[in-house]
Amino acid sequence: MPGAPAGRVNRVLPASLAAAGLALLLVPGFFAPEFLSEPDMANAFAGPGAVPPFGADQRGRPLLEYATQGAWVIALPSLVAALVVMALSTVGGLIACAGGRHVQTVVQIISEILGALPRLVVILVVALVLPRDGRGLLPIALTWAFLSAPGAIDEASAVAARLGGSRFVEALRAHGFSRPRIYLVHLVAFNLRPVVVRQGVETFMQVTFLEIALSYLAVVSNQSSFTHADSVQSWANLLDLGYKVVLGVHSGHALALGLGLVALVAVTAVAVTHAVRAR
Amino acid sequence: MSARWLRPAVRLGAALVLPFVVPGLITGLIWALPGDPASIICPPELCSGTEALAERWNLDKGPWHFFSSWVSGALTGDFGNSWRLQQGIPVAELLEESIPTTAALVSLGLLLLILGATGAATRWLPAKLDPVLQAVGLVPAVVMAMSAAAALTIGYGVEQYSDQANLLRLGLGALALGLADAALSGTVTGVRGLMESERRQRYVQMAILRGEGTLSNALPNTLPALAGQMRARTLHLLSGAVVVEVVLQINGLGDLLWGGTLAQDFGVVLAASFGFAVLSAALLLLQALVEIGTELHVRRSPGGVVA
Repeated sequence: MPGAPAGRVNRVLPASLAAAGLALLLVPGFFAPEFLSEPDMANAFAGPGAVPPFGADQRGRPLLEYATQGAWVIALPSLVAALVVMALSTVGGLIACAGGRHVQTVVQIISEILGALPRLVVILVVALVLPRDGRGLLPIALTWAFLSAPGAIDEASAVAARLGGSRFVEALRAHGFSRPRIYLVHLVAFNLRPVVVRQGVETFMQVTFLEIALSYLAVVSNQSSFTHADSVQSWANLLDLGYKVVLGVHSGHALALGLGLVALVAVTAVAVTHAVRAR
Repeated sequence: MSARWLRPAVRLGAALVLPFVVPGLITGLIWALPGDPASIICPPELCSGTEALAERWNLDKGPWHFFSSWVSGALTGDFGNSWRLQQGIPVAELLEESIPTTAALVSLGLLLLILGATGAATRWLPAKLDPVLQAVGLVPAVVMAMSAAAALTIGYGVEQYSDQANLLRLGLGALALGLADAALSGTVTGVRGLMESERRQRYVQMAILRGEGTLSNALPNTLPALAGQMRARTLHLLSGAVVVEVVLQINGLGDLLWGGTLAQDFGVVLAASFGFAVLSAALLLLQALVEIGTELHVRRSPGGVVA
């Protein structure tokens, strides 16, 4: 794009990739069937050519339904977790600029204790105490978000401290800017944005991978998942089905789809991070 | 209190509190949820004689009684018996069997990270490798562990539980733990960024002009931050150990915790999470000691300088 600022040109590709990736991850979930189709043994382990676009499972059911149901499982909880982390890290950055030393000390103590807990251990504790009818990814995702928040707050505070903290606000006040403009535009939009969005996207990716991990562990243990109902299939089921290729089962297409979805999440996260980076 | 001592003091305080946070959290959640705690722990459709069970598990006299009796037992090494996972077996025995395995797994994974950190700090590991490490780091632990399990199945078949295969299982598990979820790449880029920015400091450049080493000058100032990074990475490995141990069928603390969660065995989960919290508290303590030691070191006059 001749004549355009270099920063803008460099963002076009990652921003396009990020938008496409997020659309591919989130939109299919809204078209997910409530239950998988009836088995059709004639199509057992059929490839993408016979049952387009991704092939079929051991009972001839389309893998597309697994993919859309998996997207439905992760979509809302991952987004909510990302938003919580973004909100808390923004507040952390603002507190660092507001200059309240006692508040910062209290935040540090809470961060220190929360951040010192191995996250998966706390997640399993939460999963344990959740009543069976209250199980789902949302409480787990929210717990993950609160455990991730100290790191995000720390990073946002560091960005605010590098700007000069309360002196940055005073300097802009001296230039005649209003407080809302200083905090919302100069601080949040111009300076905290890259780190806040990156933290949010990382949380989105982590919650997605957490769901896959918890569901996969449940599948290999022949147990119900903590994250979704038994009638719904997660992307972990695709990986489990695909893994059987090691044992000579013709399920390579399921493995390719499962790994492809994992790669899509990772690529989208990287693309969003690049799209919002500071100039 | 001076600001420089605040962080280590907070960490020391957190290290003392942390082991009791998880049992406290579980106790709080059990009593916060609607319904009778004994019924939450053992639903009536699964258990009969809920009142007797409540008395046996100290659930009948309120949350403080449950928490204090569990903690006083835990401090003497008595974690009670497994409620469901391996009914009647003392949990301490299960912990004794599993902790060394997890310690070995996490230590091997940490070794990889220490090598990466040393390579980045000394510039032995070229920065050109960072994008490769970052790409590998995008792979989640569950996929990395699956690949390791596949390699074992293909390589050993029915022999995959032999002593040799178990040793390889531990090594592959540590490799998966170290590489997945940006553990190694995060360590390398974090340490590199820290050391490179310190190298650009004026005092380091003056030291180079005086013929002194870069690391000996930069390290005391970067050590607290490096200790913080390594603690965070070790915690990350402890967390990932749950996934790697279950997928690779390694009988460690993570596998025990997962089994206890699936079986709704509160006795095992309380003890296993307490074990993780104690390990984490030890890391916090270590970081605080490094910070205090560094602070004392840099405040001392350098040798040969007359005040």
